[in-house]
Amino acid sequence: MQGIYGGGMSLLAFFARNSRELLGLVGQHVYLVAISTGAAIAIGVPLGILLTRRPAWRGPVLGLANVFQTVPSLALFGFLIPLPFIGGIGARTAIVALVLYALLPIVRNTYEGIAGVDPAVREAGRGMGMTDGQLLRLVELPLGLGVMLAGVRVATVVSVGTATIAAAIGAGGLGVYIFRGVATVDDTLILAGALPAALMALAADALLGLAERKLAWRSP
Amino acid sequence: MRREIALSGWILLLALGCAHPDRIVVGSKNFTESDLLGEIVAQQIERRAALPVERRFHLGGTFVCHHAITAGQIDLYVEYTGTAYTAVLKFPPALDPDSVYRAVAAEYARRFSLSWGKPLGFDNTFAILVRRADAERYGLKRISDLAPVVPRWHAGFGYEFLERADGFAGLARIYGLRFAAPPTAMDLGLTYRALGQRKVDVIAGNSTDGQIAALDLVALQDDRHYFPPYQAAVVSRAPMLSRYPTVAKALVELEGKMPDAEMRRLNALADVEHRDIAIIARDWLRANVP
Repeated sequence: MQGIYGGGMSLLAFFARNSRELLGLVGQHVYLVAISTGAAIAIGVPLGILLTRRPAWRGPVLGLANVFQTVPSLALFGFLIPLPFIGGIGARTAIVALVLYALLPIVRNTYEGIAGVDPAVREAGRGMGMTDGQLLRLVELPLGLGVMLAGVRVATVVSVGTATIAAAIGAGGLGVYIFRGVATVDDTLILAGALPAALMALAADALLGLAERKLAWRSP
Repeated sequence: MRREIALSGWILLLALGCAHPDRIVVGSKNFTESDLLGEIVAQQIERRAALPVERRFHLGGTFVCHHAITAGQIDLYVEYTGTAYTAVLKFPPALDPDSVYRAVAAEYARRFSLSWGKPLGFDNTFAILVRRADAERYGLKRISDLAPVVPRWHAGFGYEFLERADGFAGLARIYGLRFAAPPTAMDLGLTYRALGQRKVDVIAGNSTDGQIAALDLVALQDDRHYFPPYQAAVVSRAPMLSRYPTVAKALVELEGKMPDAEMRRLNALADVEHRDIAIIARDWLRANVP
């Protein structure tokens, strides 16, 4: 009680005392989110495009991405620890888990964005003699970009929150304060991790929202 | 003003929490032993006091249980004296089991209107664990045997152990342990897995844990008596006990009935043989609290 309601000052005092550690954890957190979201985009966007070309794969692929979402993080870490290359303890395992969690919104929105392009527009492109590649590059991607970016935005914001669990496997990040706080019954410490993470999620959301609007203007 | 709003919020929460007439809510923390003890307590109340019991098990650790019971969301759960003493009350670690128990019981009654039952019998302290193969190769029996080998070793510890006043920092100082790299901070459950998979070489688990036997680990002896006592006992809301004297009587019957070896055996039944907790609890009650 004291920590949450009378704790505004103690939280500020905590930040003042531990500013270097806080910056380090924020840095780790940004690193985890950036690498994992980047990898999820690199995997998820081509996969989403592929699904528009192979509609039969849509069910199984999106189903699998759905399943990853539902596996609790500690269970996922437990499975990942024994695996070579992608497993073990530390940042790598956390990033693998975060990529798996971020895939669904990116794959799904890429697919929906492209599949949602007006068939008449697509036909017009074909009628002009466009190849499949040209159709994708010049028509489908620009028109679907808004929906695709919305998926990236959701994935990023969710990742900022999810990345707090990286602390469970020795990968650092703001979850360290949360785990420490939970372990020592210390509300101030929990807030010291949760509050910067929430601010970071809001900032990421605003930034990507801006990008979404900018790019949407440019697209025809 | 803000404090008043906060306070009225808590009172509202408290009122809502108390609004479960003739139903006892038993909580437990998020590990097997706590679930097992919660189930034993729940069944004991069911069969002796004939009151409906609601189980709110596997709550997220000391933090959640403590907030839940002070807010009246649960009526009782099993807590450890050392945890209450250092983690909740923030007292510096102390070694004498009796004085720790007395201080905890007095402070809980005064600050939170919570009542401590007498200890159940076992002491679940931290256990420094290594793989049996390593223990045999390097002749490790006591924690002090670790000092020469740890400069080449990697440790993985839970956040609780790394943060607590009676945790890693003091252990490293008392035993002169100098690891090559700082220990990896991770979830306690995952440290067992990481040790079994040779990702780390030494961890700090719980001395009554069933995984110690399951993963063929060795618990090193605390030869310099660093770890404080962690006697388990039932913590209850005092108003609930005075309202239901039959519950209080049922709980007294459990006091002193659970020695260390018995707790380890029950944990292993649940964790290693994957038996149903409700059945383990029922069988144990039948045999030990007839």
